[in-house]
Amino acid sequence: MIPDRLESNLRQGFRESLLPKLGLVLLASILIMAIFAPVLATHNPTRTGYLDENGNSYPPLGTSYTTEIGQDGEFVEVEVESTSDHLLGTNDIGQDVFSRLVYGARTSMLVGLLGTGLAVLIGVPFGLISGYYGGRVDDAMMRIADTMLAFPSLVLALALIGVFGSAGFGIPDPLTRFGLIDGMPESTMLPGTVTVVVALVTWVWFARVARGEAMSVRNEEYVTAARSMGASNWTILFKHVLPNSLTPVIVLATIQVAAVILLESSLSFLGFSGTTLSWGYDISRGQGYQRTSWWISMVPGLGIVFAVIAVNLLGDWLRDALDPNIEGEGGGA
Amino acid sequence: MSIGKFLVKRLLQGVLVIWGVITIMFALRAVSPGDPANLIVGPAADPEIRDQVREQYGLNEPIYVQYVDYVQGMVTGDFGYSFQSSREVTTMVLERVPATLELAIAATIIAVVIAVPLGVISASRRNEPADYGATLFSLLGISTPNFWLGLMLILLFAVFLQDPMETYLGFSFPQGRRTVGFGEAVITLVTTGYAGDLLTWVRHITLPAITLGTYFTAMITRLTRSGMIDEFGKPYVTATEAKGIPYVLIRYKHVLRNTMIPIITVLGLQLGTLIGGAVITETVFNWPGLGDRLIQALNARDWPLMQGIIVFIALGFVLINIAVDALYATLDPRVTNE
Amino acid sequence: MTDTDDILRVNDLSTRFFTEQGQVNAVDELELRIERGEVFGIVGESGSGKSVTARSVIDLIDAPGEITDGEIWFDDAELAETVREDSPDAVDGSFVDLLSVSPAVRQSLRGTSFSMIFQDPESSFNPSLTVGEQLAEAVEVQRRASANPRSTKAKTDSAEYSFGNLLLSTVLPSQQFVTEESRERAIELLELVGIPDPVERAGEYPHEYSGGMLQRAMIAQALAGEPDVLIADEPTTALDVTIQAQILDLLDDLQTETGMTILLITHNLGVVARMCDRVGVMYAGEIVERGTLEDVFDDHVHPYTEGLLGSIPELEGANGQLEPIGGNVPSLLDHEMEDRCHFADRCPMAMEDCLDHPPEFDATGSEAHTVRCVLATRSYTERDALPPNYFGDEERPAGDKHAEPDRSDGEQPAERTQTTISDAGGESR
Ligand code: SF4
Repeated sequence: MIPDRLESNLRQGFRESLLPKLGLVLLASILIMAIFAPVLATHNPTRTGYLDENGNSYPPLGTSYTTEIGQDGEFVEVEVESTSDHLLGTNDIGQDVFSRLVYGARTSMLVGLLGTGLAVLIGVPFGLISGYYGGRVDDAMMRIADTMLAFPSLVLALALIGVFGSAGFGIPDPLTRFGLIDGMPESTMLPGTVTVVVALVTWVWFARVARGEAMSVRNEEYVTAARSMGASNWTILFKHVLPNSLTPVIVLATIQVAAVILLESSLSFLGFSGTTLSWGYDISRGQGYQRTSWWISMVPGLGIVFAVIAVNLLGDWLRDALDPNIEGEGGGA
Repeated sequence: MSIGKFLVKRLLQGVLVIWGVITIMFALRAVSPGDPANLIVGPAADPEIRDQVREQYGLNEPIYVQYVDYVQGMVTGDFGYSFQSSREVTTMVLERVPATLELAIAATIIAVVIAVPLGVISASRRNEPADYGATLFSLLGISTPNFWLGLMLILLFAVFLQDPMETYLGFSFPQGRRTVGFGEAVITLVTTGYAGDLLTWVRHITLPAITLGTYFTAMITRLTRSGMIDEFGKPYVTATEAKGIPYVLIRYKHVLRNTMIPIITVLGLQLGTLIGGAVITETVFNWPGLGDRLIQALNARDWPLMQGIIVFIALGFVLINIAVDALYATLDPRVTNE
Repeated sequence: MTDTDDILRVNDLSTRFFTEQGQVNAVDELELRIERGEVFGIVGESGSGKSVTARSVIDLIDAPGEITDGEIWFDDAELAETVREDSPDAVDGSFVDLLSVSPAVRQSLRGTSFSMIFQDPESSFNPSLTVGEQLAEAVEVQRRASANPRSTKAKTDSAEYSFGNLLLSTVLPSQQFVTEESRERAIELLELVGIPDPVERAGEYPHEYSGGMLQRAMIAQALAGEPDVLIADEPTTALDVTIQAQILDLLDDLQTETGMTILLITHNLGVVARMCDRVGVMYAGEIVERGTLEDVFDDHVHPYTEGLLGSIPELEGANGQLEPIGGNVPSLLDHEMEDRCHFADRCPMAMEDCLDHPPEFDATGSEAHTVRCVLATRSYTERDALPPNYFGDEERPAGDKHAEPDRSDGEQPAERTQTTISDAGGESR
């Protein structure tokens, strides 16, 4: 599937630079966090009320802050100290920030991987057919693609969610289901609509890449030969054209995971994702408490940054080694 | 093919795309669950009133009639009336355009002014500290969600540094909705000679513009760096060196110019990201632009307003892309010849 | 120094590339004398170091390459006068050692004293500027140089045309590097090299030219600075056979007219026979045989030269690649180069004597004829021959000079070396 030359490029890139290694380590840690969330979390991330006796959230370990509380009809300044019980403090309604960080990785990774996978499944066949048949078919399909591209992905995603609402469904968590861990959520909420919507707004990039590859091999000798031997178009598409486009698709998919993670977090931040256990949602929670409780929005943001850096580093490595000419949509949204 | 013909072709394609966008928006509304009349008058309203409303908004017509009406309206610039406020959508869109444009343009300027030199330095000093710094910056820049960056900037400048800045610099970056637009500020300056409004505007737009511009700065830095390194490896650079012309000319007139040509197209494609970024930046900074209004419309399920804004954004996107293509065609002589 | 009218004396030139596989000795202790007004040819396979030699002379070696050793003496009395004050060591009579002068002086010689024609005209022009503009740049270099003769403080390009000028030029046409006069001169030059409708064609872009026309334009560009030495690196390789002849005719005419010296790099002995007065055969970074045309074509001694000549018909092959002799292009990696005749592993007449690196021997024929081969001093005997498998299992084309090139795929290092050199020197692009 990946030719030897590319494989040695990959090896060389990995050996020579620190960045791919860093990316791999980062991504592995985040994936471990996501998979073993119930083990790593110190508290149930949805449980509220971890507040001090005055109803103030705890700050991260080693820090403290002053706030005013009403006492006997007067405002009094108090100092809120951190507690070793809550490593990264608690949020405004007293949920453990560290545990939410760990669980947030699940949502990000699930949506990132599933959303990108779905986009590949829609985009690649579309692009292959378009590029392979060419002519009118290609024209029509490319106009559709152009139309999709005319929507900023965040805007289209918002419109789709505006129409269909945001539904999620729970995926049972084996670790808690089988009683291995106590006191953690029984299932993880997968924001289903968001996953689908994210795929619907990003598949076009895969279609473009697949189309380019299909066009470049359409007239190659081995394809002509296969055709002359009576292979059907579908056989040719799947046996010859598809494998050829896999390398650039893999590279693009990696880059797109980063974009999808950012898109998901944006939607969650705006409150359209349908789950409340997400980094983006937590950032929006902290928005109103910046003045005192800065960590509520800072911590999940760092989660996003590290996840996206990890994926981007791997993406750069793959792109440099495999294929330098790939455009995808960034995730600045 | 002449540039004129090339542009006509792109314009026709643009019209098709816009028609597609309009149709998709209509289709979305048609399949959207729930009775739109409910949104206007509320579910508890008198059935008679509801019927009246349905009549008034043309909701009783067969679907294709609604479609034709709708397309007709869009073409003539009549986007209908907002469900919520009953104002004309066209006005509601247009009054928000300047703020978004200000933000987008400011962010683009910041991005280009910082990124191109940074990319050039990075490419000319490969594997030196300056290059590592620029690379790290651009990696962080493309990996940071801008709403979070915005919040962190607010935290830093408008919360932590507000008092020190006021004390030592005499100004700070204000939190809260902007008080004056660029246009008004300039008019004030020209008519009365009072520059204070313009300064206020600058203070208000600084943080949002940095927030929106960071991703683009990072991306253009990367593209410039890798593009220039690629370009420096091309044989014509050696041939140009052999002529003995000054090095600045080789670096800028030849290499940088050729590097920017493909970057311009990539930026055209990334415009969607800029607009998406503007929507969310406006939300974070309470910036009175289109994005801010779009989120309001979505929350209120105000269909006509939402459609109007989205179609308008798509229109802008298509037009800017055509402009980018035209620029590309003038810069790269090979395009129109293909 | 001797009484011949040399314009260029290259002594002990070594150019090396420092790559990941190791140090590559692309040019190794090379000696070269070129007389004023002659056409000197360097011929060899790709990867023999001929292009790197040319680029070393005009100072176009980019990282990871570096001229590590040697002297390049260039005869220019005026230059010698101006350089003498700053670096007296770099001057000897009217000769200046180009490797001892400041980079700024070296740079100032490009275009005006040395210029270069490249192999592939299509990739050697900037695709997004008009041909006229690019020619005018070269003219402008000459114009500014002659308007402002070298002063004692050697001119530096930053003093001439700075980033500030460039920025200003976007709004002020008067700040542009290229002036109207240069543009007009560019048109004259196009006419000179036989391009019809020069006024119109000057406003066209490289992709609107045919390959042959573009090569003419490149020759015009190289002539713009009225150089003393023109380096032509495979000037016809990328062109059709019919066009090749036209371009060679053009070069020939221009040389007669201007009396400039030409250093012609080629793998094509036909081109050498057509153009050159003297020729050097290059192999593994060294000149292995040199002399007049007669010396090399009729009285050659080196088996490599023999192999090259034996394969002339193949030279006209479609791909233009020279593969006359069995075996691989030699590895130029320092750690793989042994102290023996570098050709020994491919030489059908390799003997035990050849395991010492041969010096340059005088050979029969003209005075200039020398050869780096023991056969100049002794004859081949079966008794001293190296066993056929002496250099590992790689098969030597014993006795068969016309053997098919043996490109066994196991020879990674050699091939990689070659790519490295081409990449670094841009030889094959
Ligand atoms: S020195 Fe020996 S090995 Fe080298 S070319 Fe001459 S005969 Fe052949």
